[in-house]
Amino acid sequence: MKLILSDKYLDITLNNDDIKIIDLSSLKIHNCTGCFGCWTKTPGKCVIRDDATKVYPYIAKSDRVIYVSRIKYGGYDTVMKTMLERAIPIQTAFIRLHKGETHHIQRDVALKKAIIIAYGNISDEEKDVFKSLIKRNSYNMNFESYKIIFANESEIEEVVKKEVNKWEK
Amino acid sequence: MGKVMILNASPRAVKSNSKCYAQIFSKYCKIDAEYFNVSKTNHNELCEKIEQFSDILFVFPLYADSIPVTLLNFLKTLETKPQTKKPVISVIINCGFIEPQQNDIAIKIISIFCKQNGYTLGSVLKIGSGEAILQTPFKFLVELKIKKFSSSIVKRKYRVFQTTMPLSKKMFIKASTKYWTDYGKRNGVTKEQMMTMEIED
Repeated sequence: MKLILSDKYLDITLNNDDIKIIDLSSLKIHNCTGCFGCWTKTPGKCVIRDDATKVYPYIAKSDRVIYVSRIKYGGYDTVMKTMLERAIPIQTAFIRLHKGETHHIQRDVALKKAIIIAYGNISDEEKDVFKSLIKRNSYNMNFESYKIIFANESEIEEVVKKEVNKWEK
Repeated sequence: MGKVMILNASPRAVKSNSKCYAQIFSKYCKIDAEYFNVSKTNHNELCEKIEQFSDILFVFPLYADSIPVTLLNFLKTLETKPQTKKPVISVIINCGFIEPQQNDIAIKIISIFCKQNGYTLGSVLKIGSGEAILQTPFKFLVELKIKKFSSSIVKRKYRVFQTTMPLSKKMFIKASTKYWTDYGKRNGVTKEQMMTMEIED
């Protein structure tokens, strides 16, 4: 399973049932309330039954992901960040040692090759912070490897198509 | 004399550990401090008060390796409301992991906000094992650091502090496993159920 998770609509047609495109901007996703329900009341399921519950199972299943997000202050902007916060049901509350640091134990989450396409008006300092953020995400989000592409908003679709073509080879 | 605006940007502000950290700060802070929760709907109201304060203290947890969206959205609103008198921004951040350094990226994000919008970043306190430390005998370590942290703000000698449980990682994992197992038990959920590999259906 492969996933393209984008914070904006992408005008891309794919003829591959193995690839799922999710446009987060078209979904209704509330903020995580930090209730820990997905760890301690209904493990593996968020207690807020909105569109996020349809998204995080795809994040878990996919072994190749492309995340497309606008960048703000060197991190993901609101739309993508809201979804990533709501994806914690795919982890357990319990802690393990991973790469020498403490991190949450994952549920049935595929090891991923991730491509992060970051767009917006991004300074060099923001790029550096974003690179550090993705490195840290790689530990907490089960990335086996990752690539970060900084792109102009106008070229995102082309960049995504190019990366998807590489998947299909 | 300065005055601190404490902004709790935890998504579960009312019942949060951040609220407890803010209360400890208020206890030790030797200048006036006023506490507010950041909610989805009160950004404008908070931004209107900011110029009354010499310092802002953001208190929040690490969320997905970064600042919580509650805070991100508040910063985005603040950006659209330039202040003529800009308070110094200090931060108390906590994460559930034992390494306080896991909070570093979130601090860098706040620092970029400050640079882009002409604010000065003041003192920073990074707390590791922040989900549980206040319920352990190590609470005094947090109290000590918050005391020093608040003094640095009052004296305007801004610094970076950090604290965590003084345990080996192995011991921390054991302690956190017990913490979460007990948490589940209070909800009638067993450790095995909490460990399920299933996600949705």
